[in-house]
Amino acid sequence: MSSTAGIVGAGVLGRMMAVELNARGWAVSLYDRDTEKGEDSCSWTGAGMIAPYCELEAAEQIVTELGVYSKDKWPGWLERLAEPVFYKSLGSLVVAHPNDRDELLRLRRRVLENAPRPDIMEDVGIDRIRELEPELAERFRSGLYFPFEEHLDNRDLMRALGETIRRKDIEWNCGTEVTAVESNAVVIGDTRHTFDWVLDCRGLGAQPDLPHLRGVRGELLYLHAPEVNLSRPVRLMHPRYSIYIVPRAGHVYVVGATAIESDNRGPITVRSALELLSAAYTVHTGFAEATLIESSVNCRPGFPDNLPRILPDQGLIRINGLYRHGFLIAPALVDIVCEFIDEGSTHPLAEGIMDAWQL
Amino acid sequence: MGSALYPSPDVMRDAIEAAGAELVTVALRRQSPQQASGSRFWELIRELNVRVLPNTAGCRTVKEAVATAQMARELFETNWIKLEVIGDDYTLQPDTAALVEAADILIKEGFEVLPYTTEDLITAQKLIDAGCRVVMPWGSYIGSGRGLVNKFALQTLRARLPDATLIVDAGLGKPSEAAHAMELGFDAVLVNSAIALSADPPTMAEAFANAVEAGRAGYEAGLMSPRDMASPSTPTLGTPFWHAGT
Ligand SMILES: Cc1cc2nc3c(=O)[nH]c(=O)nc-3n(C[C@H](O)[C@H](O)[C@H](O)COP(=O)(O)OP(=O)(O)OC[C@H]3O[C@@H](n4cnc5c(N)ncnc54)[C@H](O)[C@@H]3O)c2cc1C
Repeated sequence: MSSTAGIVGAGVLGRMMAVELNARGWAVSLYDRDTEKGEDSCSWTGAGMIAPYCELEAAEQIVTELGVYSKDKWPGWLERLAEPVFYKSLGSLVVAHPNDRDELLRLRRRVLENAPRPDIMEDVGIDRIRELEPELAERFRSGLYFPFEEHLDNRDLMRALGETIRRKDIEWNCGTEVTAVESNAVVIGDTRHTFDWVLDCRGLGAQPDLPHLRGVRGELLYLHAPEVNLSRPVRLMHPRYSIYIVPRAGHVYVVGATAIESDNRGPITVRSALELLSAAYTVHTGFAEATLIESSVNCRPGFPDNLPRILPDQGLIRINGLYRHGFLIAPALVDIVCEFIDEGSTHPLAEGIMDAWQL
Repeated sequence: MGSALYPSPDVMRDAIEAAGAELVTVALRRQSPQQASGSRFWELIRELNVRVLPNTAGCRTVKEAVATAQMARELFETNWIKLEVIGDDYTLQPDTAALVEAADILIKEGFEVLPYTTEDLITAQKLIDAGCRVVMPWGSYIGSGRGLVNKFALQTLRARLPDATLIVDAGLGKPSEAAHAMELGFDAVLVNSAIALSADPPTMAEAFANAVEAGRAGYEAGLMSPRDMASPSTPTLGTPFWHAGT
């Protein structure tokens, strides 16, 4: 008889867990209060950068390790999905205006201190910038290039994962508010559904059970900019208004993101929109003619140390605290969890996120 | 200490504890657009057992600053406010005229106002006349890490405002600069970026705390006045006396 899993939360993590456990021969039930599209999830908002090295600016080494491991897994993951996903492996470019060069130097120093190997970052001058992003060469004469980074369209990914789940023998309960997540049981109203393992992938929805979990509000904008041609994520360093611009198909650019210590998921504020738009305009004046097609807001689920956690209990495993790194580290988390519940062994990367789980 | 820019709330807590800071500033506008209570971050700060000093960072007019201060009083349950009215967006230089006006309004409403200002003596005097007991001049631009750019003016402030509590706010980049501010007779320093953006914030916080102690002790013990050693007044040892004075 196959093992059974009840997965609560169909964000990027819950969906990937469902696909993987199904492939391993498990009988999987997936629950989410949202629609199949998943517009309420943090994963619907996330910008989809897979940038383990740029993130060294503030993230701990362990996130980089999980990210580097996951990076190599993404192409295989995308091949397994029922639909194509916009995914590019073109690296990322970091620039700053001449007045803010110190910010660039600070990032450079921080990355060098923590880089696993020296070739992950390249100092670039005007000629190299012209090769990489010709339209930025006039404005920026120096920057940093991180060749081994990727980006994907998070919404494509959510859709493709959804379609894959639908085509497999997975029971997907949308529009289902889960009342409680317990050992071996998913409780919906008065009904208890029992499983060998329950996987709590509720993101911020798990706050009642994980009191240390907090939201870090992130706001971003979708711009349609026919006059702008950028092919890779561009980060602008600034003492206050650092932003990134992440390309999507068809001249659509995601400009983000704020990071505000708050659980508030209300619409974007004018101040934040002004900050994001002015900063984007200083990167490329072509954004002046862009149309603002959407704003998206959600809160990143973070523990006080901003590190992810896999917290196993009896017949219940909680995976949370993906913070600003959900896409970056999800493949690694999936492997660590599966190795634990399917093979009964401990993945080498589990150390630090499964051991040090006392909060 | 300030509460922005740390890699994580855990690191912030460790740094604040390492420094033994007694006042922690929180930016009302950035932290929570609509509500502060119930925010996990706010609870984290409350658990630190320090006095919270909400600020009006990001405000550009008297009206905005006053409204933000009123909101802060309600949300953080304190009548202390770090008053910032910004005149220039890039340098975050305070608009001192608006600052004095806002301070006057808030003090009449019962606030304990800690204004962020420049090193200008007249502005400081006006803030005190309005009822501020604490004045917080900058060392240099916020986040610049350039230290005490106009030491002479800061010294003048100390000499001319002996009864005010003076805190150097903004611009400190190194522990030695904090020590220097304390040697000048300042009562405290306010630090954020220099600690939060360092590679090891708790260690840097401790370094700043030690520097503050050292500078204060130096001030209390009475610093010797520097001497002009260019021309010896008496024969130096090892010089035959008949050469001296020739
Ligand atoms: C502005 C922004 C930009 C970002 N950019 C990036 C980036 O470039 N790269 C990167 O790697 N990461 C990025 N992130 C982070 C990333 O989006 C998150 O880490 C990730 O989406 C978290 O995924 P999750 O599956 O854990 O949670 P979620 O996606 O939030 O999924 C949780 C699901 O659980 C469901 N749920 C909760 N409670 C219940 C309940 N009681 N009953 C039923 N269902 C429930 C919810 O409906 C939701 O669908 C960004 C985040 C933000 C906000």
